[in-house]
Amino acid sequence: MTGESIMEVVCVADLWKKFKIPHERRTTILENIAGALQMLAGKTFTYEEFWALKQVSFHIASGESLGVIGENGSGKSTLLKILAKILRPDKGKVETNGRIAPILELGVGFHPELTAKENILVYGTIMGLKNSDLKKRLDPILQFAGLERFRDARLKNLSSGMQMRLGFSVAIETDPDIFLIDEALAVGDFEFQQKCLSKFKEFKNEGKTIILVSHGLNLVKEFCEKTLLLSRGEMISFGETETVVNEYLKRVQAA
Amino acid sequence: MLGFVWSLLNPLAMMVILTLVFSTLLRAGIENFPIFLLPALLVWRFFSIGTSMALWSIIGNASLVTKVYFPRWLLVVSSNLANLMGSTLEFLVLLPLLLAFGMKVSWLVMLLPAVLAIEFVFIAGVSLPLAALNVYYRDVNQVWDIALQAGFFLCPIIYSASLVPGGYAVLYSLNPMTRIIESIRKIFYHGTLPTAWDLLIPLVGGLILLMLGYAVFLKLEPKFAEEI
Repeated sequence: MTGESIMEVVCVADLWKKFKIPHERRTTILENIAGALQMLAGKTFTYEEFWALKQVSFHIASGESLGVIGENGSGKSTLLKILAKILRPDKGKVETNGRIAPILELGVGFHPELTAKENILVYGTIMGLKNSDLKKRLDPILQFAGLERFRDARLKNLSSGMQMRLGFSVAIETDPDIFLIDEALAVGDFEFQQKCLSKFKEFKNEGKTIILVSHGLNLVKEFCEKTLLLSRGEMISFGETETVVNEYLKRVQAA
Repeated sequence: MLGFVWSLLNPLAMMVILTLVFSTLLRAGIENFPIFLLPALLVWRFFSIGTSMALWSIIGNASLVTKVYFPRWLLVVSSNLANLMGSTLEFLVLLPLLLAFGMKVSWLVMLLPAVLAIEFVFIAGVSLPLAALNVYYRDVNQVWDIALQAGFFLCPIIYSASLVPGGYAVLYSLNPMTRIIESIRKIFYHGTLPTAWDLLIPLVGGLILLMLGYAVFLKLEPKFAEEI
């Protein structure tokens, strides 16, 4: 502990996350009873243990943004899900200060059968917005997403790019303190990407935090002071973006 | 809208079928069988539909559970509340029909909301662990279907609780649903006040179940997003 006075927005200490991959699927009561009987008969059930994150520690000070980079399957998305409280770590401590808006795997938790408008209302309510407040923001959200015409279209009938735009717009309009983005920008068209980038800048100027999982290294360089490099669940390095990105590039070339 | 009409037609059809069977074919000798049956049937539907709907409340909202954090029990309780709305409408529309069969209205009707409130607590207590277990074991709904079928015959819906032989009577009357059905029958059929036990057993049972159910739910909640 350095005893700095800067408030930390995110503090992750010694974080471990394990997934179990059973060799035999047992997802029903019947299968479990059958399994228990087989175990009595001496059969053993084995499973693969997979550590998605091993001993990850980092912290983000107020006003800073973090990039998370690494190859596919390195644990980036798992880390984001843990920060969003969707997954629970097996070990370690995660502290976050402020309201978090996550955009994970190209979606914010929309229901395919509901219309664009209904989804905005549901999501906004979950994010803690008041009903009156939400009604006021409805039009700006649709407008930012460029989906005014589709307000009553069911989500499942929108293209994946449109869904992502809607997700992004609604998430940013809920006024979060921390914005978690998992590769979300990739699906949007060029115009929307530009719109988002200027929104990001605004967001950063307000002293808020963006946590960005991306393979777009230039994007990370542009927005993130700090970067975390993961590989197979292990933290390879954490620090100034320039240094970490260069290290990543060196590792990729060496491989 | 069509769904709501069906939710009225279903208990009506049941009432007609069961009345035919029990007062015409089997001659069970219960006077005014529709009035005997329908209120009991409606509180049973409140329970059975409420719990089997709530069973799916976590799995059915997978897209929310894997994308945003919020206390997951809200999904279960909001499903229960939606069911409360549906049941209230059923009561409001169908009970007046019984006037045509000669049901007498008394001030006892005022007790209906209290009975439904007690039943709601009980339903929530059952729903929470069911919904959570259904995430881990995908055949919980099958098991629950069988349990509900058993429950239909183990509760005094199509017969009177007074028929249960002495040896089993105590055990039988400890079932919260038995007491709820008995209460509702006293109010609408016998025109008498439910006893204190009729209300206390389901209330206390429901509260205990709610605490246990919530504890089970909290225990299972952390891995919902992984198992779903």
